[in-house]
Amino acid sequence: MREQISTAWLVGDFFTYRHRLSGRIDVRHNKLPAQLNDPTSSFLELEDAYVSNVERPAEIVASYSSSILRKQNVTAVVLSNQDDGLLRTQTYGSYFGTYLRKLFITVPSFEIIGYLRLSSKLDLRTVLTTGTDAFIPVLDGEMRSSIRPEVFFTGGVILVNKDQIGVFCVETEKK
Amino acid sequence: MGKILVIDDEADLLEMMRLVLQQRGGHEVTLSAEGHDGLTKAVANPPDLAIIDVMMPGMTGYDVCRRLRANPVTASIVIMILTARAQPMDREAAMDAGADDYMTKPVTMTELLERVNELLSRQPEPPPAFSGTFALASLRGGVGVTTLAVNLAVALTQTSGEPVCLVDLCPTSGHVALQLGLRPEPNWSAIIEAADAGDIDAEGIEPYLLSHNSGLRVLASPFVPVVERGISQKAAHVLLGALQQQFPVLVVDVPSTLDEATMAVMQVASALGMVLTAEPPSLQTSIGTLRSLSQWSSKLYAIMNQVAPGPQLPADAIARALKHPVAATIAFDPSQARALAQGTPLTLSSPDSPFAQAIRGLGQVFGR
Repeated sequence: MREQISTAWLVGDFFTYRHRLSGRIDVRHNKLPAQLNDPTSSFLELEDAYVSNVERPAEIVASYSSSILRKQNVTAVVLSNQDDGLLRTQTYGSYFGTYLRKLFITVPSFEIIGYLRLSSKLDLRTVLTTGTDAFIPVLDGEMRSSIRPEVFFTGGVILVNKDQIGVFCVETEKK
Repeated sequence: MGKILVIDDEADLLEMMRLVLQQRGGHEVTLSAEGHDGLTKAVANPPDLAIIDVMMPGMTGYDVCRRLRANPVTASIVIMILTARAQPMDREAAMDAGADDYMTKPVTMTELLERVNELLSRQPEPPPAFSGTFALASLRGGVGVTTLAVNLAVALTQTSGEPVCLVDLCPTSGHVALQLGLRPEPNWSAIIEAADAGDIDAEGIEPYLLSHNSGLRVLASPFVPVVERGISQKAAHVLLGALQQQFPVLVVDVPSTLDEATMAVMQVASALGMVLTAEPPSLQTSIGTLRSLSQWSSKLYAIMNQVAPGPQLPADAIARALKHPVAATIAFDPSQARALAQGTPLTLSSPDSPFAQAIRGLGQVFGR
């Protein structure tokens, strides 16, 4: 008997700058970042999406059995379980030689704090432009509404759309 | 071993829960794949614990929670929310909706079973004693005061665990008795003079009460309208005082005038429901009533009764017009006309209807 009782698909909170969509997504035996960063598709398909306004994020205003999100308009995805938001190459055997940098990011409507895991020296001038990944994983993240600071979301990982980042700040290194 | 109802739209998870809770936990498990069906099952066979998902099509887990809490039959069920929505504000929303506990998916079987056993082992708090004199009134006729009073009295008879008496103080045609399928004989006209003289007590009033098969007792008004005089303030005080000695719960159908009997009820009632509809004359009358009875505003409850089908003004718009909160909204039910004709209140013939649930909710509002 399976020990863990969980949903069959990956459930996450998908944010645009005005809305929270809680829904489940078929990650096709892979991890969510693989879909988010797949350059051959511009969309994400959600099943059973529950819509809330970010100003009243606990209040479900509508639900739809199927929906589609344009990736470029997804500000961030909040996942409870860190492993669900990291590719296998980022989780297995990859701790040695990595270090964490505390960061502060602004995106439309939100401020995000958390940690960036790095394996090489961070160059602020290239972090948002180098590589093909559209979303970067922020570990142990907290995403707070810029307008209503009492509204915040936490996750083991927050996948942030690089194209929507306005400010990207880091603190000093942690070994 | 406890009775557990699990409401979740995921078939795989439901089956897994059945295996865990039934086979490993030894509990009696009922499964439901959506909120409406879950509510029906909860009312038909109230469980000790309900485990409810939040994200379900049609009706969210929060709505299920609120509906369970609003129905006296299911109000004391222990509720656990089990959801993938894991944010702190989601937990708050669940607790606000009436949940007792909150767990987020994924959860291990061991964790779930431990939490379920802990919740089931909690001793339920004894329900507080329910008592009070609840009056329903409107200075504008035709808004359904008598129908609400009859249904409220029947609902309280079923749910309060206390003897309930329904008092019809309207001096016109004994409508309360007729709505219950009873002949209004005897009625208060036979003892009004004794009451005026202060010469009636609990024992003396007993032979003049009607008995309904729901267990409700009724002090009816005369079938033939009373000419010239209604009930004096003193007589009303004496009658109500005598009934209060015998019945912890009184429901009073108040005349639609501010006469002596009405004022006596105002003085002794623990809660007064002012019934109104969304039509302008009713609203205008209600605004005036609130002004006239401002000294009792703390025990005045505005009750919006939808007596016609179709869209209605929202309760918050009514509240703004009244400058007084709307404590309850009673949904329109097309079966009402048949219920009146048959002399069987909807709280008896359709106990699961939105109307009956709203009436039971009104009983809870008055009982607070």
